[in-house]
Amino acid sequence: MRRWLLSGILTLLVTCFSVAQAFAHGEAADEPFLKDLTVAFYNVHVSPTSITVGQPVTITGSLKILETWPYTLDPPVTAYITPVVPGPVFALVDREVNGQPAFGSITVERGGTYDFKMVMRGRNPGRWHVHPGIAIQGTGTLIGPGEWVTVSPSDTPFKLNVMLLNGTTVDLEHFGGGFVWWWSFAGFIVGLVWMIYWTVPKRTVTRLAVTSQLGANDDAPDIGLITREDHKWMNVLAAITILMLVGGWAWMAAKYPVRLPQQTDRFAPTLDTSSYHLAEVRPVGSPNNATFDEKTNTLTISLDVKNTGTQPIMLKQYSMAMATFVNGSQQELAEAGPHDFVGSLQVEPPDPIPAGQTRRVVLKMASPIFDEERLIPLHDPQQLIAGLLAVRDNVGREERVTVKSVLVPTEFQAQYLP
Amino acid sequence: MASTPVALSGAERQRRLELRELLNAKYVFIDRTWDAVFWITAIFIVAGAADITKLLFAGDWDFWTDWKDPQWWPVVTAFATIIIPSALQYIQWVAWRFPTGATYTCCCLFLATWIGRFFQWHVAESYPMNFVWPISTVPAGIILDWILMKTRSFILTSLIGGGAWAILVWAFNYIPLAPYLQPAQFMHHVLTVSDVQGIAYIRSQTPEYLRHIERGALRSFLGETQYVSLLFGGTLAAVGYWVGQFIGRYLAVWPIRRYIKTL
Repeated sequence: MRRWLLSGILTLLVTCFSVAQAFAHGEAADEPFLKDLTVAFYNVHVSPTSITVGQPVTITGSLKILETWPYTLDPPVTAYITPVVPGPVFALVDREVNGQPAFGSITVERGGTYDFKMVMRGRNPGRWHVHPGIAIQGTGTLIGPGEWVTVSPSDTPFKLNVMLLNGTTVDLEHFGGGFVWWWSFAGFIVGLVWMIYWTVPKRTVTRLAVTSQLGANDDAPDIGLITREDHKWMNVLAAITILMLVGGWAWMAAKYPVRLPQQTDRFAPTLDTSSYHLAEVRPVGSPNNATFDEKTNTLTISLDVKNTGTQPIMLKQYSMAMATFVNGSQQELAEAGPHDFVGSLQVEPPDPIPAGQTRRVVLKMASPIFDEERLIPLHDPQQLIAGLLAVRDNVGREERVTVKSVLVPTEFQAQYLP
Repeated sequence: MASTPVALSGAERQRRLELRELLNAKYVFIDRTWDAVFWITAIFIVAGAADITKLLFAGDWDFWTDWKDPQWWPVVTAFATIIIPSALQYIQWVAWRFPTGATYTCCCLFLATWIGRFFQWHVAESYPMNFVWPISTVPAGIILDWILMKTRSFILTSLIGGGAWAILVWAFNYIPLAPYLQPAQFMHHVLTVSDVQGIAYIRSQTPEYLRHIERGALRSFLGETQYVSLLFGGTLAAVGYWVGQFIGRYLAVWPIRRYIKTL
């Protein structure tokens, strides 16, 4: 017995003190289709990545609600673009969507592209993983690529000052907190007195023996269950409660004469409609437009790309959920987004596609992120992936075209495919 | 008022005199010990039951200042918070003729929620307490017990007390909420201070659209949304009171009675 007890205590101690802090946000647990077919993030930047408490960090980037939005989810209508961080370790102080201030939720549509900018101020010292995310009603929060941000302690405590319409500035870190506690505590004290009155001088054991022989609506003052004295003191406590309420209400009405209901506003951000169309993209191959090799974490997509513009075009990026793959130099890779979520894109053949021509190309991407973030449907009800193919012409114009592909893992090929 | 039995027969008068002696009898070993054990250990069970019930039905409405809206808050919290006080009121009234069940539950809930909010949400999660403070139902509990003591009727208590509960829970907690309903400037909008708290203190998995701010057509009532909500809240609280009575009568007391009878 003693051995079991000792083992139990040791297990508890080891469990308590060996648990590492969790930094992930749970996105890897989501099914691949939830990430691939819904939203693609790109051009995400988090800067600076090292601040002290109170200093700002800005998240910028773009996301597209893909036309491939799966029918298994509610259609995307209401959304909330938000930083995804481990709790309020930062305080959000500004947010814009497509250049418009957006304090609350927005309405979105399939095919819509939303450029976002969010400014946060460091609140808690530590090293935090910062992502942008979009919560979509009926779906949940879909997150973009993340960056580590180090928040160093500051000599001055964090303050979140907000200007009231009457011109007063209040610090949200503490505003009104003392009154909330003391007011609630005062009510609790009256309740405590009520309880002490009944429980300390009166015993329960003998009362049960008596009440079990009486009707439930008999308070038996003649027996002594509830006496006139009891009524008198309970009247006093009830009166104190009501007086406290009336007094508190009068004080509140005088001190805070202007009180608004909580505010809400939803708007549809203005969408940027391009005046040019650079390419038409069509997946090729039957039945598999795309394959994935689990052993090497390599995704291969076959496409027919038609240049519908007037200049030669290059295939520059493929963005899928929170990952972006870049066909370019190391500098272009570094500029494409947070390092852990950016990989190389190999295009075969690599030459620009002349205007008016259609070319069959193969995109090849190898990255551990496919596995780490569980982006690839391997044995799923929807063996589909989708992403944004960025094409750029000679004069710097860029278009992102949604590409949906049927994906068959290469491990299937030996058995089912030629 | 305290009732006075009238026109008692001699036998009945004698029986009640015996009950009076029984009430004042001394049981040296278990009197105070039992009371102390009961009242203290029950704190944890009662607080847990009350908190879980509140979380199940009211959830975020009791968590954040920006969810304490005029429309849904008075409706859902009144219903969610009266259930367990009603159950305890039944048990303590029937067993001991103590008008304490609601107050006891509310005091237990007060302790549990403040300790929980402080350690779980302020210390561990670092939300400011002025954003995650819990509502207090203690004054409503006192009045509910007072009504039962005066009426000695669960039916009247549900009818009068249900309405009183909805009004008191809202009114008592609206007073500390008032500073957070002041208009402020933030992100190029006029918002309440509580809205600003909801935006600034990031809740990645609680997006703004989950709030039910001003949905529905209650605006047609001359803009006095909260009074219409209180009416609904009072009705629902009366219903909640009977949910609690069901729990008290059939889930808590009845099985114990059956068990004792089998011994």
